[in-house]
Amino acid sequence: MVGEFEYVLLTAAATLGDDAYGAAIREQIESTTGRRCSIGALYTTIDRLESKGLLATWMGEATAERGGRAKRMVRLTPQGIRAAKDFYNAIMRVSRKASWAIERRKGVV
Amino acid sequence: MSLSSGVLQAVSHLLTSCEREAVLGDLTEHGINRWQGIADVLGLYLRHQVGLWKSWRPWLAAFGLAIPSSLTLMGLSVSIAQSGQRWINQNVLNGAQVTLSPGLALLLSNVMLLIAWSFTGAFVMGSISRRTVRISIVLSFVPCAFCLARFRIESLSRLCLLLFMIPAAWGLAHGLRVAHIRLRSAIFLAAMITVLTIPAWTTKGAWLPNWTLSWPAWYLVATTARDKHFLKDHHPWQTN
Repeated sequence: MVGEFEYVLLTAAATLGDDAYGAAIREQIESTTGRRCSIGALYTTIDRLESKGLLATWMGEATAERGGRAKRMVRLTPQGIRAAKDFYNAIMRVSRKASWAIERRKGVV
Repeated sequence: MSLSSGVLQAVSHLLTSCEREAVLGDLTEHGINRWQGIADVLGLYLRHQVGLWKSWRPWLAAFGLAIPSSLTLMGLSVSIAQSGQRWINQNVLNGAQVTLSPGLALLLSNVMLLIAWSFTGAFVMGSISRRTVRISIVLSFVPCAFCLARFRIESLSRLCLLLFMIPAAWGLAHGLRVAHIRLRSAIFLAAMITVLTIPAWTTKGAWLPNWTLSWPAWYLVATTARDKHFLKDHHPWQTN
């Protein structure tokens, strides 16, 4: 099973779809989790997920706002989608009877 | 160009070209402070390095090869330099007739061993862990620096300690470039090393430095034979 940060990264990449690349994924993670995501953590996790076959990456086009530098585009592989689903289902199962999950279902939050 | 952007450009060269392109682009797009960017790039590089050391290969290259081999080969280099100097003084400078005496045979055998040990050790060091080879090289210089500082033989130059570096540099360059040698060459080197070390087998205490320096040759034979079988089974067209 993937780790917590790996799941967060896979989910951010899946959410961004065709626009998933380093800076965008980092921004997505920081805005949704409220935590700083270092470039080191981001790219080493991307490399690890790619070596596990859960992600595919390639160099995209260069843009002026990036100083003419290319993006490292990211896409989930079918195994990546399955791994993220497995993690999500596991979290949902273990959380089912937790008070915060029950409160959330009742709309208390 | 400001100091911070110069430092950022310099440290970014620690990354691979694709990664440098992506990371510098991300930093520009995010408008991140350059000093923070430098910390991010260094953090990424350190994470990569730590990741590499999770494997046994860099440990073997650095602590099983670089340090013990350079230490032992320095001793052999000095021994060869001293024997060579003695032989030149006794034979060449005195105008004596040059014959293959036991002393000369031993000297030649030691020279061949030095070349073979240095070549195979450095070849394996370069081929088993290419991405940490710089650290292995630095570690191999640690015993050299120690011995160079304490070298006290007046008749010899300090550079004699580093005789092994020439075949080692040759082996390292090959190891980094091709990773494998032909099975026949590997067997020849291993057999030659083993035969040349036979006279030392009866010497007490010699087995440790001998095996420290000889195992890379047999490691090369084992890995080359394994890879040849793998290619034969999976990519038969590459074995021709």
